[in-house]
Amino acid sequence: MQALQSLADALLGFLTPMSLFHVLWASLLGIFVGSLPGLTATMGVALLTTLTYTLDRDAAILVLICMYVGAIYGGSRSAILLNIPGTPASAATSLDGFPLAQKGQAANAMALATAGSALGTLVGIVLLVMLAPPLAEIALDFGSFEFFWLALFGIVISGQLTGGGSVLKGYIAGLLGLMVAMIGSEGIHAHVRFNLGMSDLNGGIALIPAMVGAFGFAEVLTVMWRPKGEMVEAKGESTRALPRMIDLWRYKFTIIRSGIIGTIVGIIPGVGEDIGAWSSYAAAKKLSREPELYGKGSTEGLTAAETGNSAVVPGALIPALTLAVPGSAPAAVLIAALFIHGIRPGPMIMIEQPDFIYNIAAMLILATLAIALFGLSLTRVFIKILKVPRELLMPIVFTLCVIGPYALTQRVFDIWVMLFFGLAGFVLRRMNYPMAPLVLGIILGTLLDKSLRRGLTLSNGDLSPFFTRPISATFALIIGASILLSIPAVRRTLLRLLPGRRQAHAQEES
Amino acid sequence: MFADPRTADRITGLVLLMLGIAMLVGGYTMDRLEIRQIHPASIPGLVPMGLGAAMIICSLLLIHSSRGQNTQAIKTEQGSARNLFVSIALCIGYAVGLVGKMPFALATGIFIFLFALYFSWTAEGSRSRSKLVIFTALFAAVFSGAISLLFQYGFLVRLP
Repeated sequence: MQALQSLADALLGFLTPMSLFHVLWASLLGIFVGSLPGLTATMGVALLTTLTYTLDRDAAILVLICMYVGAIYGGSRSAILLNIPGTPASAATSLDGFPLAQKGQAANAMALATAGSALGTLVGIVLLVMLAPPLAEIALDFGSFEFFWLALFGIVISGQLTGGGSVLKGYIAGLLGLMVAMIGSEGIHAHVRFNLGMSDLNGGIALIPAMVGAFGFAEVLTVMWRPKGEMVEAKGESTRALPRMIDLWRYKFTIIRSGIIGTIVGIIPGVGEDIGAWSSYAAAKKLSREPELYGKGSTEGLTAAETGNSAVVPGALIPALTLAVPGSAPAAVLIAALFIHGIRPGPMIMIEQPDFIYNIAAMLILATLAIALFGLSLTRVFIKILKVPRELLMPIVFTLCVIGPYALTQRVFDIWVMLFFGLAGFVLRRMNYPMAPLVLGIILGTLLDKSLRRGLTLSNGDLSPFFTRPISATFALIIGASILLSIPAVRRTLLRLLPGRRQAHAQEES
Repeated sequence: MFADPRTADRITGLVLLMLGIAMLVGGYTMDRLEIRQIHPASIPGLVPMGLGAAMIICSLLLIHSSRGQNTQAIKTEQGSARNLFVSIALCIGYAVGLVGKMPFALATGIFIFLFALYFSWTAEGSRSRSKLVIFTALFAAVFSGAISLLFQYGFLVRLP
């Protein structure tokens, strides 16, 4: 009840003309960014962080949240119409969205995607309000030992789940991120490490220029490198943009289940919207009465994917706010933005600023309303936006990549950092290295480093508290087990030992 | 561009191996701040040493696993290397060569004009060349001006 009251107060607080204006333009820009292949949610949030630093705290965070929600939703447009996901989060959407568009049901597909995204975000918001306060309370018991494991847990799990076919590449990406975080003055003795003789590196590598490079410049290069996408010409297209209520009612369980799966995936550190969409899609297919339609234009599959990816947004903010561990790449940028605006995310947030979580939930609700409004009313406008030629859009994006990081610190060095991470990000992505563990490594490196050394100082060099304290021991066991299980030989041996799996495994091998 | 993933993985593995060794050695030889009498368990090189060791293990595993890969089974995405290199050249030329050497609006205008013109020129079915040049020049002038004004007067940034 108290939570509802706080949420209502927060919502009322944002019902001012200026706040609503910010909600409208930022959500619209977010949908625009998300719908254009090559512009991702992470890039949008990173670039907008550089543009909103002069706004007051609540307005800036509101704008960033609206951009995040809008961009994740906007990705469905190009997934449905071009078969190119506007953001990686919409990859699962294209599996059924594009076949639906080819059948002349593009408007219906976009309407369902809108409804799914809005409902998914709402499920996530409910869970955010329910889970964030108790999680922050649990996290109050965390000491250096637990924070060390938490940081490691984030990188290991993110590396495993985003590595695609190669977990090893996920781990390597995480290690590279941690190594980047080792550059500059360390947090305990202020000793400068690995500055390579450059005084500009004494303060370390800032996250925003690195993210703008890895998600902005790298995307510009990717878009120009790839062949152009062809848009589906709608045939016999109806102008109706509202979803059929009967469809939504038919898929009520799919929507609730996908919303919960998406939120849980969001809570797992560094595992973002794409995994949320795929997990929800896989679960929906498994439990569907019509699994054979999946991949050929299933409206249920489309709804599951869109609900799943949008529910990740509130989910990813749960650990970001309560533990300062981002649940996704855009959430990592949001953490950096929170610090810029003087908010310290972490376990103390419920003590220092108890209303802040409800403010975030209210911002998410407003963003959801905005995407529903724009999504259902501006269908044709967004079809036109998708026709903006990449050769006109990309130089403008790159100009913003150059001036954005510079605007934050007024240092030309940050432009070089952006260029370096852009080129490195492009090469790594082409070789199937996931970006999420890298980002997580950069943001969690300091926490891992300080927690390990502080913990060892507290225990006078004794490692045992890292394994004997209950929460630490649990983290250590999970990390150890997940690393072991990611080794193919160990997994094969375990599968052989499980009696039920033995036969299936034998069949697989034959 | 990355035609053979096995070779790419092997080369990356070697680069990462060197990086891991450098990190391990860098951490080991890093100042232990004895003069400040810090706790030996809190030396600044501790975590870099651990990361270096972990990277050495991962890079060796990567090199090892690249041997067993079946290149036939790996799908590589295809793109235009020419477009990529032109994009890199234009972007770096702008960020390193133009920005800071002339007024920001002019540098941005030149960059947008060249980028948009090159790729529109090479695109199939483009309008007549003279119209294209005029349209691109106008487009570059409007957007470079708008971005410069926004940052200079909207966000009060001293442009590079």
